[in-house]
Amino acid sequence: MTANESFARLLQDAAAMQERAQSALRAMRDIGEVQVGLSEKSCVYAEDRIQLHRYAPLARSAKLPPLLICYAMVNRPYMLDLQPDRSLIRELLSLGVDVYLLDWGYPDGSDRFTPLTEYVCGYLGRCVDFILEQNAVDALNLLGVCQGGTMSLCYAALERQHIANLITMVSPVDFKTPENLLSKWAQHIDVGLLTQSGNVPGEFLNLVYLALMPFRLTQQKYVNLLQMESDRGQLENFLRMEKWIFDSPDQPATAFREFIQWFYQENRLIRGELALDGRQVLLKNIQCPVLNIYAANDHLVPPSASIPLGAHVGSEDYEALQVDVGHIGMYVSGKARKNVPAAIVRWLLERKP
Amino acid sequence: MDDSATTPAQAPPYLKAWEDYVAACQVLFERLTDPAAADVGGPTPLAFLGSWKDFATNLGMRPDSAAVDGLNPQGMFASLLPALGYSREHQEIGRRMLELTGKFQRRYADFVQQSTEIGRSALQATHRQASNDETLLATPAAIYDAWIDSAEGAYAQAAHGEPFARLMADLCNILSGFKIERGKLLEALARQFDWPSRAEVDSLHRQVRTLRSAAAKAKGAAKAKGAAKPTTGLTRRGKRKTRKATRRADR
Repeated sequence: MTANESFARLLQDAAAMQERAQSALRAMRDIGEVQVGLSEKSCVYAEDRIQLHRYAPLARSAKLPPLLICYAMVNRPYMLDLQPDRSLIRELLSLGVDVYLLDWGYPDGSDRFTPLTEYVCGYLGRCVDFILEQNAVDALNLLGVCQGGTMSLCYAALERQHIANLITMVSPVDFKTPENLLSKWAQHIDVGLLTQSGNVPGEFLNLVYLALMPFRLTQQKYVNLLQMESDRGQLENFLRMEKWIFDSPDQPATAFREFIQWFYQENRLIRGELALDGRQVLLKNIQCPVLNIYAANDHLVPPSASIPLGAHVGSEDYEALQVDVGHIGMYVSGKARKNVPAAIVRWLLERKP
Repeated sequence: MDDSATTPAQAPPYLKAWEDYVAACQVLFERLTDPAAADVGGPTPLAFLGSWKDFATNLGMRPDSAAVDGLNPQGMFASLLPALGYSREHQEIGRRMLELTGKFQRRYADFVQQSTEIGRSALQATHRQASNDETLLATPAAIYDAWIDSAEGAYAQAAHGEPFARLMADLCNILSGFKIERGKLLEALARQFDWPSRAEVDSLHRQVRTLRSAAAKAKGAAKAKGAAKPTTGLTRRGKRKTRKATRRADR
């Protein structure tokens, strides 16, 4: 093909792309605001910024202890219930699990001086206490997701009597592995300086996430969007995801500083040097059964950051589950949807008292 | 590339800059569409940058990084007396902000250079790919996706390196420092207007934190005193048989 022929072809293709883009933009204009987190739930406990939700059952109870999901503070938890056909929570409900979700909310200036201890031992602890009391049980199942998984590990190590089974999902444990780009960048950041002028804006976190894969996340995905055949469903899926990605709460300054410094920079958790509430957090104190679910293609929490958990927990009943998806795919991909909720419930049923 | 052949010597600088840019794109396109003719690993057609620099000069801007390299705010202030008088504190803040600005510009120039190198590596990788796989040239979308893959690959290689991590951290730290200094100026402004200052709001937030913590503790203590223990429920099991396993979800 000569250069002129190629150029003519390019123009033709460009015109076709332009047409598809116009069509996609027209379709998007008609969509308006997308809805997320639609499964029926009620707020059963609230304190300061946090809310504890309980989901309405969708099936006969599997007679398992209640399951508390502790999500990360750096993103909004509705990712777990993004839309009816992409909802980890809905799948769990349909398998008869009694699901609670801890929503950290949107921290503001009044949370600036709240330490990490308060989030783990205070808010999370009081949510656990509330659920135990509401259900008149001694222990519940805890599912920690991403940063929430790390926090759940800390809680389970300190308050092991309250946890029947612990599930961690895409949760970092070893914060200094060669594949962990976030960790590499975090090493030289003066996080004291960063948080000296207040909470860390959600936009800052968004920038950092985009910088992990800038070409795909700031260019390619929008080019691909404009090439969608104005399929309303697909566009709505895209917009829901887009909403979630950029709906990052500000991070409470003190807790954020402690998290970055203690976990990313000093790797205290895996070294057994972390202390919360004046008590040492030792992974070997986790004696309950542990299911560690990690994503094989995770660019935020690489498998190497999650896998070491097995070597450090005290529990003799430890199982790791690798899913061939990325970090976000763990919540919404078809592969994860098909396998993960069923695997969780099967694992819990095997350990049913 | 002989620009004089297409653009009259007296053409406005912006026109020449634009034309050179288009010409560079055409060269690039020809290379991509004809791998045999492509000088794989050869220089990127960046000649058009010269015209942009001329254009910038024409607008009164400094044409290259010499301005940044030559900028030494510390040096500027070294020749002056120490901050004196009524606005001494504000002068100091201004000096620190200037210092930080200079530092940021230098490190940002490093960032731009890194980015350019990443772009060049990506382009070379795309060339290599296109030379080995003609289907990539079939559509702009295919070559675009190949370029994105190459760019992410080149970026990841750089981003995982220590210099890049230092660079990112420096940019972040400098901006954090700048934000703090700017906050001091705003604090002074707030006092002029009798607005609550950041320090005052922080003090209130600290008190809120203390009160919340005390309230939660008191509530917990009261509950522990008054509430009965759960009477029914799940009991903890004994240790299960040792079972440490890894499996894959799709197996």
